[in-house]
Amino acid sequence: MTREILIEHINKVFVDKFELDPAILTPEKRIFEDLELDSLDIVDLVTGLQHTFGIPLRDNKELLQIRTLGDIYNLFEKIVQEHPELEEKLTKEQ
Amino acid sequence: MKQRVVITGAGVTSALGFSRQELFQALLAGRSAVKLRPDWTEQMQGNPRVVAASVELPEEQIKSIKRHYRRSMGPSSLFAALAARQLIAETGLTQEELSSGRIGCIASSTLGSPTETYAAAMAIVNNSFYDQSACQFFKIVSHSTAFNVANMLGINGVQLSPCSACASSLQSIGLAYEQLLLGRQDLILAGGSDEVAPIVLESFRLLHALGEEPGFAPEEISRPFDAKRCGLVCGEGAALLAVETLEHTIARGAKPLAEIIGYATSCTGAQISQSDSASIVRCMKLALEDAGLAPQEVDYVSAHATSTVAGDREEATAIRELFGDAVPVSSLKGQLGHTLGASGALETAVLLEMFSQGLILPNTNLTAPSEECAGLNLIRKPLERSPNIILKNCIAFGGVNATLIIKKI
Repeated sequence: MTREILIEHINKVFVDKFELDPAILTPEKRIFEDLELDSLDIVDLVTGLQHTFGIPLRDNKELLQIRTLGDIYNLFEKIVQEHPELEEKLTKEQ
Repeated sequence: MKQRVVITGAGVTSALGFSRQELFQALLAGRSAVKLRPDWTEQMQGNPRVVAASVELPEEQIKSIKRHYRRSMGPSSLFAALAARQLIAETGLTQEELSSGRIGCIASSTLGSPTETYAAAMAIVNNSFYDQSACQFFKIVSHSTAFNVANMLGINGVQLSPCSACASSLQSIGLAYEQLLLGRQDLILAGGSDEVAPIVLESFRLLHALGEEPGFAPEEISRPFDAKRCGLVCGEGAALLAVETLEHTIARGAKPLAEIIGYATSCTGAQISQSDSASIVRCMKLALEDAGLAPQEVDYVSAHATSTVAGDREEATAIRELFGDAVPVSSLKGQLGHTLGASGALETAVLLEMFSQGLILPNTNLTAPSEECAGLNLIRKPLERSPNIILKNCIAFGGVNATLIIKKI
């Protein structure tokens, strides 16, 4: 699976949950400062990502460290490498 | 000397218009908000004739509230937010004033959001509770309307929610009046909101209080004081009023629309499902006493009258005892339905238009008053008369009464 497909899935969560314009979703954007999300939104972000990837994320410590959208892309690239079954699921759902 | 308290604006979200002027004109034109809701048939045990007076909000109006604020709003809070924004536009209050600590928000509803409460319950049933938004609870809690409005506008003064079902928003206005008399605030956004949902309709139906007479068209079912009344029609909406000290109004060069001269609230202490005529009389007397008025000085009584058999009878008995047949009496619920927790504020917003238009709106669907409601001056056509003093009642589950008296300025 290409990084582009992964980004597409992650960005869809941001568009659906937070009504953000897809055009502004670039890796350097900071989640709180630039995308104007807050702690309540982060709960919804985790729920959305859980739903998209089909894996439990509520207690994922690394997810708590994210600062930018790029951090999320990198983290999920790693998660997909660790869970090869996700690749098929995400490619199918594209 | 007693502080004088005035109303300097009123924002409205209703099934018959998105301003108090639009709502008044729709009522004057005889339009009804009551319609069939076939989309709720399945949730209501297959009942094919579900009716409600629902607000239809265009998508762009919903989206006009920024997502950051909208995310914690159920329909009820959303209606209130739209009404609040209208009110800010009308009053011209600045951000500095709103965040001065001297402006508060007192607003309430019956249940926070029955729609969202049902959704949360279904999430438990469907084992998907943790798929819900983090804001779900904020949509449901009983003071959702108040904090959503305060948060959206940056209001940081008093925030209260006297949730008492159908008396909620009139109690909010009354509580605002009392807070201002105590000198706690200079201005309070006061009122309330409510929403209809199948669980609300079914709750009234369980109590045999929902109007369902098959012989009537949907718009004829709500018929306050009529001999053939058979129960209420649930409605929804919101209204927020700017309740302000006269001193503050003058200082900022604003124009008052009416003065609040009396208020009282009481309960029966004896019955949870309805009030009784004796306690309604007592409440109206307390409000008249607060205003320093005799009953004959009131020019119009805006009744709560929801079209239930017992409720209308008790209120009619109380009004007859105090006012006889001398004072015009009407209920707006024949066209607007019973907007529950919003009704006190929504109907008070209409009263402001009666002052400015010099017209008293009539009862609708009142073909022949029932025997127990006879002996009142129940008007059936718009009355071209400029009322000077209006008495407004709200009566609620819990045996709660509230009476507000306002005066034209």
